[in-house]
Amino acid sequence: MTEPTIPPLRTSARYRPGALEYLALGLIVLVIGQRWLVDLFDIPALQTGATVFVAIMIQATPFLLLGVVLSGAIAAFVPASFWRRVLPKNNALAVPVAGAAGALIPGCECASVPVANGLMARGVTPAAALAFLLSAPAINPIVMVSTFVAFPGEPELVLARFVASLLTAVVMGWLWLRFGKGEWLRIGPRTHLIGSSSFHTFRLTATHDFLHAGGYLVIGAFAAAAINVLVPPAVMNTVAENPFLAIGAMAALAILLSICSEADAFIAASFTEFSSTAKLTFMVIGPMVDLKLISLQAGTFGRAFAVRFAPTTVAIGIAASLIVGWVLLT
Amino acid sequence: MRRDVQAIILLLLGGAVLRVTWSDAYLNYVREGMRPFLFISAGLLLAFGAMAMVDAIRQLRTPAKVVAIDGLEHDDDVDDDHDDDHDHDHGAWSSWLLLLPVLAIFLIAPPALGAYSVARETTNAIPPAEAKAPPLPPGDPVEVTLSDFVGRAVWDSGLTLQDRQVRMTGFVTPNPAGGWWLARLSIACCAADAIGTRIQVQGAPILPANTWVTVTGAWTPGGGTMSADAIPILVSSSVDVVPEPRNPYE
Repeated sequence: MTEPTIPPLRTSARYRPGALEYLALGLIVLVIGQRWLVDLFDIPALQTGATVFVAIMIQATPFLLLGVVLSGAIAAFVPASFWRRVLPKNNALAVPVAGAAGALIPGCECASVPVANGLMARGVTPAAALAFLLSAPAINPIVMVSTFVAFPGEPELVLARFVASLLTAVVMGWLWLRFGKGEWLRIGPRTHLIGSSSFHTFRLTATHDFLHAGGYLVIGAFAAAAINVLVPPAVMNTVAENPFLAIGAMAALAILLSICSEADAFIAASFTEFSSTAKLTFMVIGPMVDLKLISLQAGTFGRAFAVRFAPTTVAIGIAASLIVGWVLLT
Repeated sequence: MRRDVQAIILLLLGGAVLRVTWSDAYLNYVREGMRPFLFISAGLLLAFGAMAMVDAIRQLRTPAKVVAIDGLEHDDDVDDDHDDDHDHDHGAWSSWLLLLPVLAIFLIAPPALGAYSVARETTNAIPPAEAKAPPLPPGDPVEVTLSDFVGRAVWDSGLTLQDRQVRMTGFVTPNPAGGWWLARLSIACCAADAIGTRIQVQGAPILPANTWVTVTGAWTPGGGTMSADAIPILVSSSVDVVPEPRNPYE
């Protein structure tokens, strides 16, 4: 090992424009071109897309912040030994415990990605952290209440949602335990996020996670806004006729529309032509896999993880919805 | 990514959230109940941004302390894309994308969804919670929401609307088959989940799309019942052009 070399202090640095200068220049150009930009967006489809994009960002920002504040607090204030004490030693048992713990934390799916990342960084077994990642946005009290409100007179659908979501999360955790490989998962080295004090560590972690995940949220929100404008709602009604096509279509729609788990029950309820099981599939898949989540997960855990995790979750989620729907909804 | 650029992105985003929340523009995107959380978010972003800026300034003052953690050569205050302590953490470029919503809010300020979104929908009347609607409150005319009116007209066969004058506020959405619909969107969470409600207005002058109007009139049968596609009909007695309400959604 060689000693790290400290670069010689330069006395007269040659001027090179950097990120800050480009940022300033870009902003000046955009402000000058503002009139032209507004004219460009004077097309209903583009305007609708822009509104949906900003709406998803505005809606998700408080939840993403909640998530990064929690992940920062986990990094700074919760000792790693805490998780060893609360979670069962046996990993196969830790998975359902972590999955059920998802019912306690009221948050959207955007919050759960940085939290799961923080848990893994603190030594929680990835399988348990992933079960929590999937279950937290799907079965928390706010989501359960909003589902109850969206489907008046159908409390069995609330129960079905809870059971099918938890089942999917736990099965995914166990699958990871059995088949998952550590190298698929990128848990970023976090040594550079250790500050001079607990509060400093908290602030560095939260800021870093927000900036990092926020960019991926932008990609997801952008894709969802584009889909919102490009896919005519009329296509849906023709698909609803065929029960098998309907379930696939509802799963695809949950992925493409990327609606917050706290609102998706109202959307599911608006698909009046679809069967209860198809609506259940929509509500099970939506909080676990959608465009903004795939983007967030790829950014946080790496692409190798996302390409394996997302399709498997969809398959397990559909299977769980079919089984639970068959038992509880018919 | 450099600390100072990080700080500026956080400050800009915090400023953008503060701006839409302060000016009521947030009602174009999310529900009113989000307001306190948006204020807290703006405060957090501005605080994180300000503290990151303090870090960046300190770093500038003591350039020699910027030592490579990962063995890469680091310049002091002169930047390149490999600066600071984040570059081994791939995807630092993603933070730049956070400027997109900032630019959209400050430069374009997208308006509330309107006629374009409503015209694309096929369903109109989601079955209401109760099978039998309670009688309309007193008043002549009585103020109702569009979704309440449509629910009563379609799923209760208009029983509670007979012989009553109602008043509703919405925007004009041209009907390709002639005339226009009075329309309003409702959101459950944010504008991405907006659902539109339409009523065919009879006996009214043609108005341009997205004109906000208050319409007084009476329900008349013929729009269809017991179907999610039914669009009820209102015979108008007066149509007044009004400014866009503070909350454009129902």
